[in-house]
Amino acid sequence: MMRRIRHLPGWTLLLWACLVGALASALQAGAQQPSPATTHNDVVIRGGTLLTASHGRIENGSIYIHDGKIVAVGQNVKAPANAIVIDATGKWVMPGIIDSHSHIALDDDVNEATSPITPHMMMKDAFDYNDKMIYRALAGGVTTSLLLHGSANMIGGQAIVIKHKYGLGRDEMLFPGAPQSIKFASGENPKRVYGTRNQLPSTRMGNFAVMRQAFLEARDYMKTWDDYNAKVQKGDKDATAPKKDLKLEALADILRGKLLVQIHCYRADEFLTEMALAKEFGYKIRAFHHALEAYKVADQIAANGVAIATWPDWWGFKYEAWDGNPWNAAIALKKGVRVALKSDSEDVTRRLNQEAGKIMHYGNISEDDAVKMITINPAWIIGVDDRVGSLDAGKDADITIWNSYPLSSAALVDKVLIDGDVYFDRSAPGLGMPRFKEGQ
Amino acid sequence: MIKKIIVALALIVATACLAQQPAKTTPAQDQTANGTIVLRGGKLLTISHGVIENGVLIMQNGRIISVGPASTVIPKGAWIIDVTGMTVYPGLIDSETHLGLIEIDADRMTNDTLEASDEIMPHMHVYDAFHAETALIPVTRINGVTNAIVAPGSGDTLPGQDSFIQLAGRSAEEMITVRDIAMPMNFTGRQRRNQSFDSSKYPSTRMGMATQLRQAFMDAQEYADKWARYEKRKANPDEKDKDKDKTPDPPKRDLKLEAMVPYLRGQKPVVLAVEENKDLETALDLAHQFHLKVILNHVTRVSSLLDKIAATGFPVIIGPIYEQPREWERYDAVYKMPAEMARRGIKIAFASYDAHNVRNLPYAAGYAVGFGLPYDEALKAITLNPAQMWGVDKDLGSLDVGKMANVVVANGDPLDVKTDVKHVFIAGQEIPLVSKQTELRDQYWH
Repeated sequence: MMRRIRHLPGWTLLLWACLVGALASALQAGAQQPSPATTHNDVVIRGGTLLTASHGRIENGSIYIHDGKIVAVGQNVKAPANAIVIDATGKWVMPGIIDSHSHIALDDDVNEATSPITPHMMMKDAFDYNDKMIYRALAGGVTTSLLLHGSANMIGGQAIVIKHKYGLGRDEMLFPGAPQSIKFASGENPKRVYGTRNQLPSTRMGNFAVMRQAFLEARDYMKTWDDYNAKVQKGDKDATAPKKDLKLEALADILRGKLLVQIHCYRADEFLTEMALAKEFGYKIRAFHHALEAYKVADQIAANGVAIATWPDWWGFKYEAWDGNPWNAAIALKKGVRVALKSDSEDVTRRLNQEAGKIMHYGNISEDDAVKMITINPAWIIGVDDRVGSLDAGKDADITIWNSYPLSSAALVDKVLIDGDVYFDRSAPGLGMPRFKEGQ
Repeated sequence: MIKKIIVALALIVATACLAQQPAKTTPAQDQTANGTIVLRGGKLLTISHGVIENGVLIMQNGRIISVGPASTVIPKGAWIIDVTGMTVYPGLIDSETHLGLIEIDADRMTNDTLEASDEIMPHMHVYDAFHAETALIPVTRINGVTNAIVAPGSGDTLPGQDSFIQLAGRSAEEMITVRDIAMPMNFTGRQRRNQSFDSSKYPSTRMGMATQLRQAFMDAQEYADKWARYEKRKANPDEKDKDKDKTPDPPKRDLKLEAMVPYLRGQKPVVLAVEENKDLETALDLAHQFHLKVILNHVTRVSSLLDKIAATGFPVIIGPIYEQPREWERYDAVYKMPAEMARRGIKIAFASYDAHNVRNLPYAAGYAVGFGLPYDEALKAITLNPAQMWGVDKDLGSLDVGKMANVVVANGDPLDVKTDVKHVFIAGQEIPLVSKQTELRDQYWH
């Protein structure tokens, strides 16, 4: 069973990372805390070709940044005389890349694979903010990532959204105010994990039965609390509070629409089943992840307002990936699906710009659409598209500067700014990290 | 059952590919008056003698018969393809793939990459498992890869012997152009059988692996000597044997030891896979002790030993450059390795080390260009260099008269991710740009 071929792509490792049992984590929930305010100087990036992700390409453009936010973008941008100037003449400027499916910096604690329903697992409890992978992805232009639970469980844990401010502390790296996402999975992974133990679910029938059961219990739980709250409201002093249960609370949060639902699945029939189940229990699906067969039912996915986060060209590593197809993104896009390219790999997260370049020749995808697939579209999936993902006034100044056309094999990141500060500079000595403090 | 479906699928795809060939407008030699195909107006990347802008390349009977400027005389009756604005280059060569050994990784029934029952398995021959009808080959070749090494998996120290393939043909026999072209020897630490103290078996350490290898090579040497003595006695029976009117009994054949003999004699290369400094030192000691002819493989985290590698003169398959650097290194430590090696005069080649995405081979070379590898060297590392390393440069690796007509036409830089391949010729036959994936695309496009 152990894979012997070493040098297959990162998914192999991930497959194992996703399946190998994880350790229990402390039940320390809580929203992501905003970082303490930092002071920023005025910065202006001058003279580059801007790929804005929202309004096309701007030749010889400038960006004025104040207090960590983009203030102005365009060919004629006014900035204070004392602003720090970053000369981008001859260079390319893009929004920071956003990876909407990543498992880095979790110290392999990716799967609490001891039960198919673990919505109360909090990835924040496993967040290893010293992981060098955060730095390596940063050096590839990634400024924001969604760090997800693995795919062993039908309903896994709750994700964190990070900004790649490598060198800073844990809470400073969390994306302030980002909505909470939860990971679902169906298909071969849960089947294999529980099936090999002769437990439920070992089939796709079992997959969805387990979910229905969980949501029914969550409904009952919500009702007991609603009844109790109603009694309290009426002034019933004898009313006793039901037991708080973290798992049922988390499930209830899904039904209450408080969590963005991110579903790992591959096959066309499963997208349909997942969407029917969501309708049955009244929650919304934010995105299908991997989604290799999205092209087969793209109309239905688009009609449900669900996005996909996929790879350009991975396929064939398991049955549910057998019909994977590099034209998946083009067909889905054509039929109105919001498409993101993601890594799900500690290798590929470092070069998502190449993935976007690659997708351009599978189905003649435009530069604009390709750029969106690694910036504003994944930002939408994560729920932070009002904050990052494009070069627009009012957005966080998360910006990458490239030495040549970014959507190509040989392009290198020169500088990465997050919230207006330089976190990576290829020309800087050592690791190229002006804000890295040794020993962290 | 499932396997049957896979086989059926593969057959459908293969049949579809074959069926498409005659229907396609043109290529086949019998469709042109004299079996001649001309690519006119393209930018020829010859690899061996520079770039010819607005050039002419002529193929006939599966070979390149002319490579020249616009003024090149075009034979009458030739089928002319206008490739103005396109780039023309030799078919790419991938120096390590698992094509034909895997259909779906997760399904053991379609996965013949590794005989994991023992570490010393030099008598495993890739050609015995190679599945010519695999759906992966059409997917691969339409992106411009026309030739590849097929290697067994790297989980054994000696997992078997590689074959060299051409990515077109009606059968395994036609596609495998060189059997047992080289023998991988893996010493990356992952061949240890040490998953836990409870379930470990020998060799569970690097000491064990190295010792086991030394013993295996010594056994093979002894075996070769025994056979040599026998052959000698058979050819020149000594007096004693004559008296007794008796020829000597041959030694018992041992496939495992027999397989190693050509490598001990330096007749074929051993592909020596290591990643870290310490493993490189040990593996080089072994190679030296047994006088092996070596092609180094991987060597992704050996930055302090590059001069030592250069001094050996061994060529290197470098990569994947997507391996993570060591904890203390810069993010680009591995990305830079091809440039660092080329700068020291080391002959390098790239490999995908993959099955399903062998098609992405040129992008690794392109990425290395970003990190300082001269463009021409990058292109060579997926064409002429591997052709030379594998001893097939008489036929492959450049656009030169007399070489096999494995030629690719694309709408841009072959190393760039955005480039689209427009024509692929293998042995002078145009390959339809059809695969399992294009068929699904066409089925669901509208």
